[in-house]
Formats: sequence, structure tokens, C-alpha cells
Amino acid sequence: MADTAIAHGHDSGHGAHVTSTGLSNNKLAMWMFLGSECLLFGGLISTYMLYKGRVNSGPQPDQIFDIPFTSVSSFVLLMSSLTMVLAVSAAQRKDDRNTNLWLTITALLGATFVGGQVYEFTAFYREGLGFTTSLFGSSFYTLTGFHGVHVSVGIIMLMALVGMISRNRIPGNKAESVELVGLYWHFVDIVWIVIFTLVYLIPS
Amino acid sequence: MAIIERPSSEVAIAGGSTVGVKPSEALGVFKRPAASTSWRDWIVTVDHKKLGIMYGVAAFFFFIVGGLEAVLIRMQLIAPNGKVLNADQYNQMFTMHATTMVFLFVMPMAAAFANYFVPLQIGARDVAFPRINAFGFWCFLFGGIFLNTAWFLGGAADGGWFMYAPNSSTLFSPSHGIDFWSMGLQITGIASLTGAINLIVTILNMRAPGMKMMRMPIFTWMVLVVQFLLLFAIPVITVALFLLTFQRSFDATFFDVASGADPLLWQHLFWIFGHPEVYILILPSFGIVSEILPVFSKKPLFGYPIVAMSGAAIGFVGWGVWAHHMFASGLGPVSVTVFSMATMAIAVPTGVKIVNWVMTMWGGKLQFTVPMLFSIALVVQFTIGGLSGVTHAVAPSDTQQTDTYYIVAHFHYVLFGGAIFGLFAGFYYWWPKMFRKQLSESLGRWNFWLMVVGMNMTFGPMHMLGLQGQPRRMSVWTEARAGEGFFNLGFWNRISSIGSLVLSLGVLLFIINVVYTHKSKKVAIAPLDPWDGRTLEWMTDSPPKEHNFDTIPTINNLDEFFHRKYAQDATTHEITQVATAEEVLAEMNAHPDEHIHMPSRSYWPILLALALPIIGYGLIYNRVILAVGVAMVVATMFGWAMEPSTAADDDFDPPAPGDGGGHTKELAPLG
Amino acid sequence: MKSSRRWSNIIKPVLAVSSLIAVAGCAKDAPQDTWQPAGPNAKMIDDLQRPIFYIAGIVGVIVFAAVAWAIFRFRDRGQAMPEQTHGKPALEITLTVIPVLILIGVGVPTVGTIFDLAKTDDTEMTINVTGQQWWWEYDYPAVGDNAEVYGISDPIVTSGQLVIPEDTKVLLRVTSRDVIHSYWIPKLNGKKDSVPGRVHLLRMEGSEPGIYAGQCTEFCGLSHAYMRMEAVVLSKADYATWVANQLEAYNSPSADNVLAVEGEKLFLQQCARCHQVNGLLNADGTPNVAAPDQYVVSGAAPNLTNLMTRNTFAGASWDLLTPECRDDVWNATPAEFGEKYLAGVSEDCLNQKDLREWLRNAPEKKPMYADPTKLTETGGKYRGMPALGLTEDQISALVAYLLELK
Repeated sequence: MADTAIAHGHDSGHGAHVTSTGLSNNKLAMWMFLGSECLLFGGLISTYMLYKGRVNSGPQPDQIFDIPFTSVSSFVLLMSSLTMVLAVSAAQRKDDRNTNLWLTITALLGATFVGGQVYEFTAFYREGLGFTTSLFGSSFYTLTGFHGVHVSVGIIMLMALVGMISRNRIPGNKAESVELVGLYWHFVDIVWIVIFTLVYLIPS
Repeated sequence: MAIIERPSSEVAIAGGSTVGVKPSEALGVFKRPAASTSWRDWIVTVDHKKLGIMYGVAAFFFFIVGGLEAVLIRMQLIAPNGKVLNADQYNQMFTMHATTMVFLFVMPMAAAFANYFVPLQIGARDVAFPRINAFGFWCFLFGGIFLNTAWFLGGAADGGWFMYAPNSSTLFSPSHGIDFWSMGLQITGIASLTGAINLIVTILNMRAPGMKMMRMPIFTWMVLVVQFLLLFAIPVITVALFLLTFQRSFDATFFDVASGADPLLWQHLFWIFGHPEVYILILPSFGIVSEILPVFSKKPLFGYPIVAMSGAAIGFVGWGVWAHHMFASGLGPVSVTVFSMATMAIAVPTGVKIVNWVMTMWGGKLQFTVPMLFSIALVVQFTIGGLSGVTHAVAPSDTQQTDTYYIVAHFHYVLFGGAIFGLFAGFYYWWPKMFRKQLSESLGRWNFWLMVVGMNMTFGPMHMLGLQGQPRRMSVWTEARAGEGFFNLGFWNRISSIGSLVLSLGVLLFIINVVYTHKSKKVAIAPLDPWDGRTLEWMTDSPPKEHNFDTIPTINNLDEFFHRKYAQDATTHEITQVATAEEVLAEMNAHPDEHIHMPSRSYWPILLALALPIIGYGLIYNRVILAVGVAMVVATMFGWAMEPSTAADDDFDPPAPGDGGGHTKELAPLG
Repeated sequence: MKSSRRWSNIIKPVLAVSSLIAVAGCAKDAPQDTWQPAGPNAKMIDDLQRPIFYIAGIVGVIVFAAVAWAIFRFRDRGQAMPEQTHGKPALEITLTVIPVLILIGVGVPTVGTIFDLAKTDDTEMTINVTGQQWWWEYDYPAVGDNAEVYGISDPIVTSGQLVIPEDTKVLLRVTSRDVIHSYWIPKLNGKKDSVPGRVHLLRMEGSEPGIYAGQCTEFCGLSHAYMRMEAVVLSKADYATWVANQLEAYNSPSADNVLAVEGEKLFLQQCARCHQVNGLLNADGTPNVAAPDQYVVSGAAPNLTNLMTRNTFAGASWDLLTPECRDDVWNATPAEFGEKYLAGVSEDCLNQKDLREWLRNAPEKKPMYADPTKLTETGGKYRGMPALGLTEDQISALVAYLLELK
């Protein structure tokens, strides 16, 4: 003990940008956020699973779901994960042009998915499933709506990224910013796979 | 000294002279705020210490509000058929008392300590995301104010803090109180969630060289566990609150029994959040006393790894016990058994902590300072609360006790006798670090004893009341159910109500102590290391400079500071002091780090946070206001995203001298 | 051996003194005391919890003694810096294992009791208990053993007091019509929530004739504090008398009781649209059928048939008996109890004060949502009883009529 008393750091000047875990602060924060999001969707999905069969009025799930249509839009969303990967790899090569290209395509695919969802909601509404029609309606629109909002926020982030990259206004590490948005985007995709399986594919 | 703090308007440079530095227009709409002294600085600051103090002041304000609500409740119950409040007011009062104490006092007060001391304890210069930190504070403050404006806009929430469905629907609670409640908690939830992510990243990523996880001070450990609990608990209550808001504002059917809804859904969601929440409230205080007991026992914490791990175990098992709040709600016997056993299991790591605290004192050299007194009281009172907790972990016994005053006694022993006593211990312990002056010990002793007597007088009799059948949440009690004899329930209700006044007097004495300490000229500046501390936060100035440490220390030991001050003789094993705190500090500061870039102040956090209650009012009253709020959120988020965390070198005019920019470090590139 | 005796010498008086303090500090005969079981279910809980309280007490005393000893023995007297020990693993493991063992000792009987309390296959009688803001309805269905053994040939619907036969395993089927309530008669069993849309089962059994108090224990809105209940346990013979009386056909007041005849008319005009009185005929001779679902959110109002056989009204918040008559019934010995209870409420014993106040302005006496201007959310339906604006003469007539309902 005596030997170590009054010791002082010799490399303390370089401590701040080397993180203790080796993972950058931003990336660690994004992982934590996504962990938290898991429970958000967990709660919403549980609510839906509890209530999907409770239809006192209005249509039953299997009466209105259009599986082929939703499969196509799910496929579109899955493809956007692929283009997102391409955007990240372009960003890591410091290839701004291709980064922007792939980001834009990702955003467009995402927008197609959201468009499909809007169409689907409209169709369901016409077939008599309103937000307040039944427990199934309330929980279905809440769950898929929350997911849709997440996709929309992702699209806004992608477009903002494109704008900032083309004007060279990204604060900090450009490739990492793209990667962070990518993490979020993949997460939203994975959540959709779970929702699609549980809500549409498994019969109630 | 080549310490550069930017973008303060005065920058110390080599030779000690100062040069005024004006920031140029930042990348956003606003000029980069640069004031460092006026009140404006408190609006735009991102300094974790200032935010910690702001958290503390705001939380203490809400403590007084919640305390007054509690006193009104006790005055109503001092006699049968009380007339102080009517039933409606009473229901609002106990709802808001609990909501305020849980969400607006204990949680943010723990956040105050965590904000201020975690970076200091791990040898960091700030948290990972200073602007998000500021945003979190403003969310909490505006959320809390928003929640309380309901009092003036038709009545506060009246469904109890647990807000069980379907009593929370507009049919049964037509005022806007519950709308304010759910949206206000949503806003403070954002504060907790962002704060959790921020502190987790800070603790995992920004420890000083050599500070392994198992060298972290125990307070930091407990804060880490709490942040993980928040990270996973907050989204669950978020879902519940969304369902409630959708039900009340948009006629969704989630809790509408006529549509086939199951009211127990709310209870499950609420308690999956609500039980971890209990540990969110108590663990920071466990951390505080685990710092204080060793300091005033002159011994390291007994079984440090076990205390740290038992904290983590409590956090983990805490997820599997939520339904013990629902033993009477009609779960089947199998579920009841499982949750009953899990609840008993959680008593083990909790008991381990108590044993370790007692063993820390055992064989020590105890100094009964005020923080030590509060800590010992916590150990004793928490033990009482813990043991009564075991009696209702036993599910059949709980069916007699739940929703009676016995439960009220239990959780006040845990949360007042435990959590709040821990926070007061923290006030007295860390006051000299934060404000350079030590709170008066003699006034502190009065403060302590009044609070101990008041607390036990108020909540002790509630054990009797509950076991003899007085239910909770009743605006009146009747003599017909109070029993006979001198010590009937009326007697204990009176004692309890008088106790609440004693307790209030104790808290008042704390406020008087603060005023006295800072106004009286007789109170001298505290020494650098008034308690002979053991951890890193004492190894810097009081209060610390904006960048905390001139040199980031390298850590070789648990209780690093103690080991720099004391040495053990190899043969006699005698422990002697080899250096004073001043000497340790001087030694460290002999070679200060160069080019310290501190994160720059920003307007965006407060503006973004301000938009949230506007959205809340909009949802309740007017869609135009709602649109304004949403537009404000979008605009401020863009402004935020465009603004770098640390102002770039060319953002200053003239450029900071002697700074080539090549060696600069950014603490938080995005945050 | 010697040291253990010394310990027991210390612990025994400590336990004795502390339990003396605890007992001396208790109210005597608190009606809702959880420590005075009067039936096998409550007894089962009591047998389980008592040892646990003792164990908790002993553990507490040990911890306090250790803290006190540490404070006394290790205070700073200028001794040298203590050894910087970080712990003793063997000691720590021991001190972890001990609570584990204690909890296993507590856990095993707990599991047994949980399942014993959940048993329903030995039920002898079934009663539907329905909570609504802010009173309980008891419905004795005329099926199975209820009809065959206990003579309930027609359904009996009452409120205020649950009446059950002695030493009979009664199963309550608890549910709710609006928000969550909780049914609790502490001396007979623990509580069980009444949740709308769900039926929860709760065993009830009384070992001795008498009257047992209870209270709603789940916060249920404005008047939660005024939602009380009483359980009455009668000997089997007395129970048969009670059932027979409940099933007796309705008789209009005799013509010479002018006030009561006027009261019946008034009741038909003012009360009968919500409150059912079985057998009451409309002016045109058709049976009166109350339709509370049109006026009240929960869709129910207390059935007032044989009101004066109960001792309470308005969610058991007030007594129908004067304080003296009430005490006479509550303090009766088990042998005398049945007779005194079955006497019902006579004119001499009627608590005129509270009943008249109630009829004069119910929402003032018990907080309820009855202000017609504030009923937009409920589509004009009341939650509770509104003020009827009766004159004093009308109130007298109604009281006279209500006295006939027994």
C-alpha cells in the first residue's frame, strides 16, 4: 500500500477520447436506446397479443388482413436494410456520393413501406375497422402505428443525413453517424419482422 | 498552467492572464451562448455539476410540495370524519403526494447526486452527452410543473399514483387531472430515459485509466444498476401511459370492459415498471450510505464485491416480483406462489447489504457526524421496513395486509426511513464538496433527531392501524371501526398526524441550516477534505473546477484517494497518514493536462424540453397549440443536430492562443 | 450450552417486553382486526403469519443489537486506524446462507397455505357478490345446495350485509359492475379484488354467530371511504328463518297506516325506477320493475326488499339502528345473537337521524357524482343517489313506508 500512495497518472492526458469499453459513446448509447426500445415494443406487442381475439364489433383480423400485400411491403422494408448496409459501407470508404445514393434509396424504400401502411390503414378503415371499433382495432393500430412512426422518424433521419453530408455539415465522425442511423434502421426492420409474424402470419 | 476552458468568456492561459474570447455565430440560429456567471448560464449550461445542483434544488422544491400534501392528508385523518379536505380533494391529494414524492423528488434527487458525483467519482470531466443531460433536467422540471398546473386547471389527478383502470377512464374521472398526470409522467419519463442512457455510457466508457469496474466507488455502482433498471422500466410505463392517453383522448378501448378489455393489463404493465421503480428509488441511497459508513468507520466497505453484486442481483430479481402488488387481484395460486417465492428471494441480497453495513462499522473507529447518523438510521429503519416486507411476501398474510396502513407503514419505512434518509445523509456528506461550506453539525443534529422521531412517530403507528384493519386511501375513518380502549385506532391516528408535524419541523430545520450556513459569517470555509474521504470526488477542489480535474488520475486501488493519503507499515501493519489532501492535490496538479475542451453551452436542450409541455397542453385543450409544439420539437431537433457539442476552434474570435487543434480531445462529438 | 442459555435469558425478556408493548398498544375489539380470526380461512392465515412475525421480530432485535453494540463499542475513542479489511468470505457466506434457510422455512408453509386457501371443491353454498360505486350487492342464486339444503327456492338479492350460515363453506363469486373494488372481511378471510369482466372466488366461513365488519380495500373513486360491508353469521336454524323471511311475499302497508300508504305511493314515484322492491305493484296493478340501468352508470341500485331486516344502508356506511340498539346486536353473545339480529329494525330502534339526512340530500352525506350539470361524460347517468328534493312530510311518509319493509 505504501508504495502506491501518492502515485499519479502519467497517461492521464490521453484518457478522454479512448473509452473504457472501446466502443464509442455514441454507439454504446444507441445500443442502450435500442435495448430500451425492445421493451417498448414488447409492451405494445403483448397488449396486441392479449387483445387480438377480442372483437365485440367490427371485423376479425383474418377477415381484413391482406397477406400478399403486406408481404410485399414487408419485403420492401427488408430490402431497405440491405441498401442501408451498402450506405454504411460506402460511408466507411468515405465515398460520399454512393453514401448519399444508398441513403436516398433506403429512405425511398422506407417511404414505400409507410405508404403501403397508410393504404392498408385506409382500406381497413373502409372495411369497418376504426381505432375505437374493438380492442383488436385499438391495439392493432397502436402497435403498427408506433412502428410506422419509428420508420417515419428513420426516414427523416436518413434525409437529414443526406442533406448534411452533401453540405458537409456533419458534426463529428461522418461514417459513425451513418452507422448509428443504420443501427436504428435495422432495429426497426427486425421489429417489423416480429410484428409481421405475430400479427399477420400467426392466425388468431 | 495551460488549462483551457472554453467557451467561457474568460480563459486562463499560460501565465495566468485572461483573454476575452467571443464566440462567433454558431452553426444554428442562435449565437453560441458564452456567459459563465450570470443567471443566463444556468439556462444554457451543460456542466454536470450545475445540472446536478439544479436537479437538487428543483427536486427539493417538489419535496416541500409533496410534504405539504402529506401534512394535509394527516390533518384530515387526525380525527374521525375529517373536514379539512373533501373526498375529491383528498383523492387528488394522496395521488399527487405519491406522484410528487416518487417522480419529482426521490428520482430526480438521486439524479442530482448521480449527475454531480458520478463523473467525479470515476475521474471524468463530464458526462458522455452533456447537452442531453441538460435536456433531461429541463424535461424533468417542465414535466413536473406541467403535472402540477392541473391543480389550477380543474383539479389534479384523482386515481391514485397506481391509476388503476378502469377507474382512470374519463367516465369515472371526468376532469383533466389524469390527462395532465399521464402526459406529465411521459415527459419526466423522457428525462429518466435519456439520463439513464447518458449515465450508463458515462460509467461504462469514461472511467479514468485503471478504474476497473471493481474499483468503482459503490455509489457509482448503484447508480449504474439504477440506470439499467430505468432503461428497461421506463418504456413499459411509457406504453401504459400511451394506452391510457389514447383511451382518454381518442376513445381507444384498451381498458373498456364493455368491449372485453381486461383491467388487469394495466396492473401488469404498471407494476412491471412499478416494482423496479422501487429499487430505482432505494438503490441510490444504498450507494450513498455505502460511501458514508466506510468514511466514518475508517474502514473500507465490508465485502465490497458482494455489496456491488447484491445490488445487481436486487436489480435483476426485481424484474420477477411485480405481481406481489397483485396478490389480491385474482391471480391463480400458481402465479401467486411463484411471485411470493421470488419476493422472498429478493430479501436475501437486501439482507446481505444490511449485514455488510453492520460489519463495516464492526471493529471500526466510528465518528458520529450528521451524515453518519443519517446513515445508521437508514440501516435501522430500512431493516424494519425490510422485515415487514417479508411478512407480506407471504402471500396469504398479504391478503390481510395489502391496501391497509400496514403497507403504508412498510413502504414509508423503506422509502422515507431508507431512501430519503440516505439522501439527507448525502446532503450533509457532500455539501462541503458542492458549496465549500460544511452544514452546521449542531443544527444538523437537531435536524436528524427531529426527523428520526417524526418519521417513527408518523409511520410507526401505521403498523398498528393497518394490522387492526384500517384501509388506505380513505378520505375519512369512522369511530365505529376504531375499536375500544385508550390505544384504539383513533389514538394511533392522532399520534401519526402529530408525528407528521414533527417530521415537517425536522425538514424545516434542514432549510434553516442551509440558510444559516451560507448567511452566517461564523461558518468558515470547509477544509479541502473535511471528512477524510476515500474516493475520487475528494481529490479535487471544492467545488470542482468546470473541468473537474486538472489531471485525470490513474487509479490503482479501490478507495484510491485513501491509498494516496495513507500507507501501511510492512512490519507493524500500522496505518499512518503519509500525505494530506492538499499535498495529494498539489502533486496531481503539478502536471496539468493540456488542451481540455469542455462541451459548449447550448440553447437547444431547454428549447426542446419546453416544446414538450406545449404538446401536452395542445393534446388537452387545442390542436393548434399541439401543432405549435410539434413544430417546435422538429425545429429544435434540427437546430440541435446542426450544432457541434464542442464549438470548433474557428468558432472563436480570436482563435484560442497556443492551441493548434491537433491535440484537442472531444468529450462528446454528438451529444 | 451455557452461552446459549445466557442468550435465551436475554432474548426471552426482550421478547416478552416487546410483545407486551405490542399487545398493550393494540386497540381492543377493533372490528377489522386482522389478528382475531373468527373462521377457519382467517385462522389459516393467522397461523401462518404469527410465527413469521415472531421470526421477523427476532431478526430485527438481533440486527438492532448488533448496530447498538457497534455504536457503543467501536466509537472513536482515539484508537488507532482500524485494519483495512475488505471482508471475510467465510463470514459473508454464512450470513447469506442463514437468511436463505430462514426464508425456506417461511416459504414452505406459505405455499401450502396458498393452495389450501384456493380450494373450492368442498363448497357448500355459493353467493354472487358484486361491487359497484359504492356498495356491494349479494345475490343468493336458487340453485344446487343453496336451494336443496338451505331452502333458497327463489333468488334473494340484498345489499349491505352478507348473511351466511355458521360452519358452512361459502364460496363468494366476486365481480364488479364498474371499477375495481376489493372484498374484505378481515376476521373471516383475506381480501379479493372484484374486477369488472372477471369472477374471482373467495372462501368465507364463520365459526361463531356474530357480525363481522369489512371495508372495500381497492381504491374505487370518490366515495371509496364510504364503501363498507358487514358479514353476518347465523346458526343454521336462524339462517333458515332468515331465508324464509326474505322469501315471504310482499304486503302493502295496511290501510290504517296512512303515512306508510302515502309513503308507498311516493316510493313508486320517486324511488322505484331505480330501487327494486320485490312484489311492489304499480298503481295500475302491474308489478313494478326497477330500471336502474337507465339512470345509474353501474346499472344497479340496492334492492330494498326487506330493507329493515338489514342493519345498515348506503353501502353499510350508516346504521339503520340507533347506537344503543346497534351495540345491543353487535355485543350480543353468540347464543343470543341470532334472535337479536332477526328482530330487524323496529320503529323504536330506527336511526331516524341518518336515514332522514340521507333522504333529504344523499350526495351531501356521502360524496357521489350526482350533480346533473356534471354528468356529460356519463350521458346524464348518476354515480350514486341524487338529491330528490323531498319535503319533510314526504320524508316522514317514506320513512314510515320503509319501516314496513321487513
